[in-house]
Amino acid sequence: MEAGQTSVPMKIVVFILFLFLLAPVLLVIPISFSGEQILTFPPASWSFRWYVALTQNSAMISAFWTSLLLGTIVTVLSLLAAIPAAYVIVRMRTKGSEFLYNLFTAPLLLPTIVLGLAILIVFASAGFLGSFWGLVIGHLVITLPYALRVLATTLGNISLACEEAASTLGGRPFTVFRRVTLPMMAPGIVAATALCFLVSFDEVVITLFLTGPRLTTLPVELFHHVESRADPLVASVSVLLILLTLAVVMVVDRSVGLSKTFVK
Amino acid sequence: MMQHKNLSAAPSASTESNAHLRLDGLTKRYGESFAVASLDLAVPKGELVALLGPSGCGKTTTLRMVAGLITPSEGRIVVGGNDITAMPPYQRDMGLVFQSYALFPHMSVAKNVAFGLEMRKVPKTEIATRVKDALAMVRLETLAERKPRELSGGQQQRVALARALVIQPSILLLDEPLSNLDAKLRDEMRNEIRDIQQNLGITAVFVTHDQVEALSMCDKVVVMKAGKLEQIGTPVEVYEQPASPFVASFVGRTNRLEGMAKGDGTIQVGTIALKVPTRTRGPVDIMMRPHRIRLLEATRDPADDSTNQIHGTIKRVTFVGDLLQYHVDVEGSEIIVEAASDHGRGIRNVGMPVTLSWRVEDTMVFGRSA
Repeated sequence: MEAGQTSVPMKIVVFILFLFLLAPVLLVIPISFSGEQILTFPPASWSFRWYVALTQNSAMISAFWTSLLLGTIVTVLSLLAAIPAAYVIVRMRTKGSEFLYNLFTAPLLLPTIVLGLAILIVFASAGFLGSFWGLVIGHLVITLPYALRVLATTLGNISLACEEAASTLGGRPFTVFRRVTLPMMAPGIVAATALCFLVSFDEVVITLFLTGPRLTTLPVELFHHVESRADPLVASVSVLLILLTLAVVMVVDRSVGLSKTFVK
Repeated sequence: MMQHKNLSAAPSASTESNAHLRLDGLTKRYGESFAVASLDLAVPKGELVALLGPSGCGKTTTLRMVAGLITPSEGRIVVGGNDITAMPPYQRDMGLVFQSYALFPHMSVAKNVAFGLEMRKVPKTEIATRVKDALAMVRLETLAERKPRELSGGQQQRVALARALVIQPSILLLDEPLSNLDAKLRDEMRNEIRDIQQNLGITAVFVTHDQVEALSMCDKVVVMKAGKLEQIGTPVEVYEQPASPFVASFVGRTNRLEGMAKGDGTIQVGTIALKVPTRTRGPVDIMMRPHRIRLLEATRDPADDSTNQIHGTIKRVTFVGDLLQYHVDVEGSEIIVEAASDHGRGIRNVGMPVTLSWRVEDTMVFGRSA
């Protein structure tokens, strides 16, 4: 960004690092335009056949809609829970605040496979397996810590003085929250939204335990597809996913600025 | 002296009737320690009162208790005869100007100023005119649509003032409002705040650690130390008749010597006998303002009855533009003397023997209990 002058050797190092990180991802793009039956690089012929095949793959398309709806609902619920939770933990500091914060963010420390297994055991007895709302709850377990963490940090960095000023000017607590605290938290809320959506949309491990034959998400469907066939369809799906992620990141960048949102 | 002693003690009937803001035994405890210890204060309507003291003296805690942002442990806050101790801040009708200004960053200047009026459900057209008037009062009419971050520190400060005053609060509270401004702007804002306060005739409490601000702006100065009240008085009283060595050294510069009062109007300091205006007896602190001491050619002539004279050697000379500061060694103690600088002429040199002379009435004496 506006980080002044970078020396030439530094530029080269950064370029190599980016290449290392992005090369496998970029490789997917030419493969998605392959005219072959199987995944090869470089492809011997070019075509749009795998994009066409994708439009006719009803399992993939329905999995995509499931993921999109799931991601949206999970994101909304995460924010609805995490905003008040962050407010209570940061602003109404009591003896339990620290404990609550650690409890809420604990799932970040656990291996997802363990979480998935635990959720599987609980849900099996509750009859939640293979249900959409089961998936919502499962995803919430991992998105809530991210949302709470981002929002608590944001709120913690906002000086109390503005809220106090609003209160001396006659604002009742809820009005102060709505008119002053919430707007000042906007960058954190945008970041939490993007993060929750991407985490949910991308989640495989826990989802694998919870999906069934009639309900599946896009990453899980992709996973199963690669297991049984090695055609370039997955590459075309991947390209579309990269574009979607880029779109989310660009929306964040345009609205509040990337560095402001994710770098603290 | 007697008059402000009354104010600090239990309020008499007369102060009760004309006090607009009254604090009765206001106390804030954190665990075992006292941030504010049983503070009594009465502020008459229309007066600007300074809470003056070093950081940690409880002045900001007091102000925040008045605003309702901190709940007192004990005591009462009374405004216009109504006990508001238990009232939440949003019902108190006080305008608070923060040290950090605390402007709402996501709102324009006009929206910031309008906030308090919107909270009071004032009709939109009236809000528009009152915001305009308030911004005109602080000379910011042209910046109404700007965001706070686009303004300079002084401009932000004036927006904060307009926002606090537009609601026509019963009391204006100012928490170190000038400490984030540079020296020149600080002088300007000092006069501006005082003018506005006097034009509106509003009761105001001003928290500061800067004795110049307190003395130059305020009707009364409340000197605080470690949560307790040290002295209440007009700026002249606090400066000329400090109630304690702490007040003397905090409000203005002083020299301090330790001595033994003999009860006959003299005090023995080492080998020197000083004449003082009291007949106290026992260990005392003696203080003299540096600018009240005259620096003379070394002389052995005896002083007359109304003057003290001591002899010393100049250790250091500091030229501070309009002032010359001499650090003089007197029998091992250092005494600072300030003299007006006459175009930098007549500066005495380090090592010169000199005689210090000051009037007996300018010698402040404080008994030491310890």
